[in-house]
Amino acid sequence: MNFFKTARAVALAALLGTGAHAVSTNEASAKTADGKWLIYLSLSYSGNSWQSEAANIVKALAATPPFSDTVELVEVISGTDPQAQISDYESMIAKGADGIVSFPISSTALNRVVKRACDAGVLMFMYDATVTEQCAYNISYITSGFGENTAQALVNALKGKGKIFLSRGVPGNSVDDRHTNGAMHIFNQYPGIEVVAEYYSYWDDRTTQQETAKALASHPDVDGIWAQAGEFGAIQALQQANPDRLVPITGENSNGFRLALANPDYQKIGIDGVSAGSPPAQSGFAFKIMMEILNGKRDALPEGQRNIEYPLPWVPGAAVKLCEGDAFENGCNAFPEGKVPSSFVTEVFNPELLPELSLASALEGKPTPGAEIQPLPADAVKAAPNEPGINCRKCDAPADLYHLTKVEATVKP
Amino acid sequence: MMQENEIMSDATMDIEDKRSSARISGEFVTVVMIFGLTIAMILASRAISPAFGSWSQAETILYLGSFLVFCAFGQGLVILVRGLDLSIASVITLGGVLTASLMNGSNEGLFYLVPAILGACVLVGTISGIGVAYFRIPPFIMTMAVGLIVYSLCLGFTQGTPRGYPAPFLSGFMQAKFLSIPAPIYLLLVFVIIGTVLQSYSAFGRKLNAVGNNPLAAYIAGLPSGLLIVSAYAVSALCAGFTGMMLAGYANGATLRMGDSYLLPSIAAVVVGGSSILGGQGNFVGTVGGALLLTTLATILTALGFEQGWKTIMEGGVILIALIALRDESFAFLREQFRKRG
Repeated sequence: MNFFKTARAVALAALLGTGAHAVSTNEASAKTADGKWLIYLSLSYSGNSWQSEAANIVKALAATPPFSDTVELVEVISGTDPQAQISDYESMIAKGADGIVSFPISSTALNRVVKRACDAGVLMFMYDATVTEQCAYNISYITSGFGENTAQALVNALKGKGKIFLSRGVPGNSVDDRHTNGAMHIFNQYPGIEVVAEYYSYWDDRTTQQETAKALASHPDVDGIWAQAGEFGAIQALQQANPDRLVPITGENSNGFRLALANPDYQKIGIDGVSAGSPPAQSGFAFKIMMEILNGKRDALPEGQRNIEYPLPWVPGAAVKLCEGDAFENGCNAFPEGKVPSSFVTEVFNPELLPELSLASALEGKPTPGAEIQPLPADAVKAAPNEPGINCRKCDAPADLYHLTKVEATVKP
Repeated sequence: MMQENEIMSDATMDIEDKRSSARISGEFVTVVMIFGLTIAMILASRAISPAFGSWSQAETILYLGSFLVFCAFGQGLVILVRGLDLSIASVITLGGVLTASLMNGSNEGLFYLVPAILGACVLVGTISGIGVAYFRIPPFIMTMAVGLIVYSLCLGFTQGTPRGYPAPFLSGFMQAKFLSIPAPIYLLLVFVIIGTVLQSYSAFGRKLNAVGNNPLAAYIAGLPSGLLIVSAYAVSALCAGFTGMMLAGYANGATLRMGDSYLLPSIAAVVVGGSSILGGQGNFVGTVGGALLLTTLATILTALGFEQGWKTIMEGGVILIALIALRDESFAFLREQFRKRG
């Protein structure tokens, strides 16, 4: 394989003359026949807003100059089965990929093929979900403490006392476990907090709505809801059960949820909470770091230090600000009703890391007219703490794994 | 019903009369048992939470169960003619996605959009039906293939993010209450009455029963069995599209996976309700009972707070017990045992 790649690079250099020689001094040296970097975008499945937005961001960036002339991006959707993604990675390696930017389906099952890809000189970049193979880069918010911070915010809103629901993600998923463990670390400190129902909502609005409605049948007097993605469905279920009563609720980044948190009518009947969680923008950040390494503008990190933390979005109700245009400008962080669906995940933008993007990028994968790829700020890349089973194998989590970063306890346990 | 069935079996093949008559009483017992079991579960659940066993819990079950009842009716007709409709999940999604994107948050043009959306779904069902009836493609494969195609079309059409909102009239209806009972529960009642009449007391339903009982005999008797099979699939897609429309109204929007959680429960509801998975036997009231039993079970399991694994095991266990206990073979077996002892 390596011989093949080198042979191709040499042939290419010979074809293009000395000009190409200067470029091919980088870590990866293979390019497609037309001299572009061959990059694969490998997805799990494309059936919800989050996955589509994350993929669209990468597509939009790849179509923005100068990447539009230097990158050939190929999208591959593998479904929900790790085995399918393994064989897709294999064929990408065989086709001479320079880099793979991917949402990995499993944190452990892909390790062997990821290692093979690294050995073949392919840059491996994972976004949002992670792999424990240390040669891959993990760009993720997972370590940023979504579970414990939102749990503390909910406890604060409830003044340390009340019955709550946990609306979780997908059973057996490492991300769901990490979030829930962090949250329970906080809830367990407060004897006044009672988890009366815990259900899996599969990170989906509709499932969350129906599961919450079922839980409300037995506990109409619930005092608060701690939710992962799909949180807007929980609000709809509360309204369905009783239009005159809402409760404090924490959740992720859907536009509908942010609008609800900022709605004065809802605030009057009891809504309070914070919007945090998984940003689709991680994919774009991963892609830009990868391209900077490929283009020789950034040094590759040594193995074992390739876990990079994406900062946790944190928008309490009072901080919600509507955007007037098609991008996050002037500190805005949500779109007016009707402009995007309520399930649209707002955190597609990041004015510092991804100033190239606008609404059309997230919804349709189109580049922003006139935009050019900007270099990442010098301090953009921050190391993530070790978390065994999530981003490393034989490692120890830091002692203060669940320490609060976004909120302080206003009630004593 | 009873008379006609007897005449039918007399005229076609010499199946033992005794079983045929025994079956009808068995069917009746099944329906009574399954509703009894559902009500008993609701009452017994008071032990779990004081809010349970109340009218408001029954209201939630009827409301959430109505979606399953809608799509299980169509599934029941397809199963009646010895088929299986695996495209239900995709057609629900199609109905929901079209509702959200075409209505786009306005009541304008509702009178032609609703028929157009349901018409698109009927078209999908008709294609499945033609494949099964005339090209002899196994129903399992045909509906799975059509389902995949429809799902992919939805994915391409929405680019992964379904946009728009259903008409305010529709979402308003799903929120509305008459005499302090949610409006969709009245709709459920009307639907159950129409469905029962259609399946068990109309000429159309009796012809479907005949085709399911013995397609060859039905053909010899001069029934257009191909056309009847196609119409069963078309009605199933119509019901699934209607379910998608109602779900979009309930949630005020559509997602691409909104139909997934209805496919297997729709089959389970039909079978738990006393219909034969092999076709030719069953009634809609039983299916309604099956759907409500499954919804009740899910509601109680959510409240119990067990680990997810245990929840799923209990769900499977109760379905199995219901199936074994409520089969008419079990009744026949018991009757036989008593006879032997006597």
